Amino acid sequence: MKITAPISTPAEVEPLVRAGARELYCGVVPPDWIQRFNTSGVNRRVFGNLNGYADLERVVEKATGLDAEVFLVLNAQQYGEQHLDALTEIGARFRSIGGKAAIVADISLIASLAANVPDLDIHVSSVATCRNVESARFFAALGANRIILPRDVTVAEIAAITTELPELDIEAFVLNDGCVFEEGTCHTVHLPMNKGGPICIDNYQFEYQATGGGQPQERALRRLEQNDLDYKRWLWYRFGNGFTSAPNGYPWGPCGVCAMPAMHAAGVHSVKIAGREGASERKIKSVELVARVLERIEAGEPADEVRKFAVGLRDAPSHCASGYMCYYPEVRSRHELGDTEGKLLTAV
Amino acid sequence: MTNMMHTPTPNSGTRPIELGFALVDERELAAFARHDRLTRDDYLDQLGEARDCVTLPDDAEPTHFFLGSEFCEHLLPSVEAVDRAVALCERWGLTFGLVTPIACDGLFDPLRAALQRLPAGSEVTVNDWGVARLVQREFPALRPVAGRLLGKMLKDPRLPSATWARMYPNGLRAGPFRDILDGLGIGRLELDFPPFGAADMYAGIDFPVGVRAPYGYIAKGRICKLGSLSLDTPEKFSPGHKCRRECLGFNEVGARPGTHELPTSQRGNTMYYRHAQGMAAAVAEAVNNGWVSRIVLSGA
Repeated sequence: MKITAPISTPAEVEPLVRAGARELYCGVVPPDWIQRFNTSGVNRRVFGNLNGYADLERVVEKATGLDAEVFLVLNAQQYGEQHLDALTEIGARFRSIGGKAAIVADISLIASLAANVPDLDIHVSSVATCRNVESARFFAALGANRIILPRDVTVAEIAAITTELPELDIEAFVLNDGCVFEEGTCHTVHLPMNKGGPICIDNYQFEYQATGGGQPQERALRRLEQNDLDYKRWLWYRFGNGFTSAPNGYPWGPCGVCAMPAMHAAGVHSVKIAGREGASERKIKSVELVARVLERIEAGEPADEVRKFAVGLRDAPSHCASGYMCYYPEVRSRHELGDTEGKLLTAV
Repeated sequence: MTNMMHTPTPNSGTRPIELGFALVDERELAAFARHDRLTRDDYLDQLGEARDCVTLPDDAEPTHFFLGSEFCEHLLPSVEAVDRAVALCERWGLTFGLVTPIACDGLFDPLRAALQRLPAGSEVTVNDWGVARLVQREFPALRPVAGRLLGKMLKDPRLPSATWARMYPNGLRAGPFRDILDGLGIGRLELDFPPFGAADMYAGIDFPVGVRAPYGYIAKGRICKLGSLSLDTPEKFSPGHKCRRECLGFNEVGARPGTHELPTSQRGNTMYYRHAQGMAAAVAEAVNNGWVSRIVLSGA
């Protein structure tokens, strides 16, 4: 199982690979793109991109020298038909300098890259919301080599796809970013924070209505309000414990390291660390954290021991105990129920 | 992938608009069952005060009736409800459509069971490429429609201007998109009408287009706040658990303080905006010009 890590500058390549990442992904906004299309929307993130092709070449060269692979993010939910040729040219150029794969969500772009740049691997972005075996087969038929599963899947669902489709590489989230909505079905932009930021943490003031109109009954309203408080607490964890790090530098926020033994057993190819827009130090510490867990798995340490080690890494087990910091909370729940072998997790 | 030739549908401006109603809560079928036939007012009445945000041609009368959810795997109708809806549609002389969501693998067997109950020619609104493959391979007598989760476009109601809305144009006219839909036997698109949408925004698309009104969806998740109401910590706000369908009993409505944006709501795992009257007028203009051939009325 490999670690896939984000980069936004060539200077991050070496420390991330040294920390344990074997796969790096990055975005780039070519200099003529904004002029041509009047948008910086080459990928899902406006910030966190490399400065241009020269940086992209440096990244590929450095990574190749360190025996790591580089993937290029072209993963907007959708592109206009006027963009497809330009994006396909970007993919071809990336391949010509030694890039390995494009991370893509738009099905038209997947088809175009498969037809025109056949030696460039295609990784289906989590933004494509592929979370079942039939859907994975659909993308494989289009030319995909890898499926990056969306954030909110269960370990059992991951295992079902890896089992059914051994010819496809499967990548699953393990650390950092925490969208509330499914990326591929969220048709918003992350506004500047003074205009509202991401819609899932914007300042909407909602009131409950019962179906058909009117307020819910008093008892129901109390339960709803308590549920809202729980949700706010979950949101705080989902967004990196208020965008903070542990005292030892390891990042807080959505985390799936406890599920890594089960994912490894299921045949997951790579675990993904999100956060291209993050600080370099956060990326490096993220890779270190995941690598320390992976080392133990690869050394054959029992899954239960690995999970205990993982929970102790940030020296604040109460956050883990909340259950709200987990990408795969069922691992924790079932572990507490005594399923120490993780059998339930890989049941198809 | 089969690459079939696609024959564009003739301009439908000369034909009556198709009019559908989409129902999510199967329990509400009982109220519909009282009708011997359905009229446009029966459909509009279901929208409550939101009916003021819909503009229909004078001759628009019901042609389709849909059951199911695009947004949640927990809201797939039971086979009993599907049977009841199919029987009602036969009585009313309407085409039935089953609406399906993005699916986890666990949903495929219940989906097969529901699809087996549909008479030939029924529509299936698919919002998942895997479900589209299932329908094509195992249910060739059914007519798949690409649902609004597959027709991706920017719909953020918070954007300050049309300039922002043009940042990420849709790819509905792209050749590969058309070929892929053809290859899956999909012959129709169902879409939302976005904030800042122009009447001609669906002109020239190679598929007949239906528009959902008067609500568009903004974003949907798999994590559901309301669906966690009856769960204990830490099972709340996680995927893969059972659901008591609380979203069918409660809705959240509101706004961002200090703004005059489109009325917004959250129902279960999905956020919606409601059309302004100007948007309703733009949809009506699109219908008049044959750029939209169907309106599907649905709530939030």
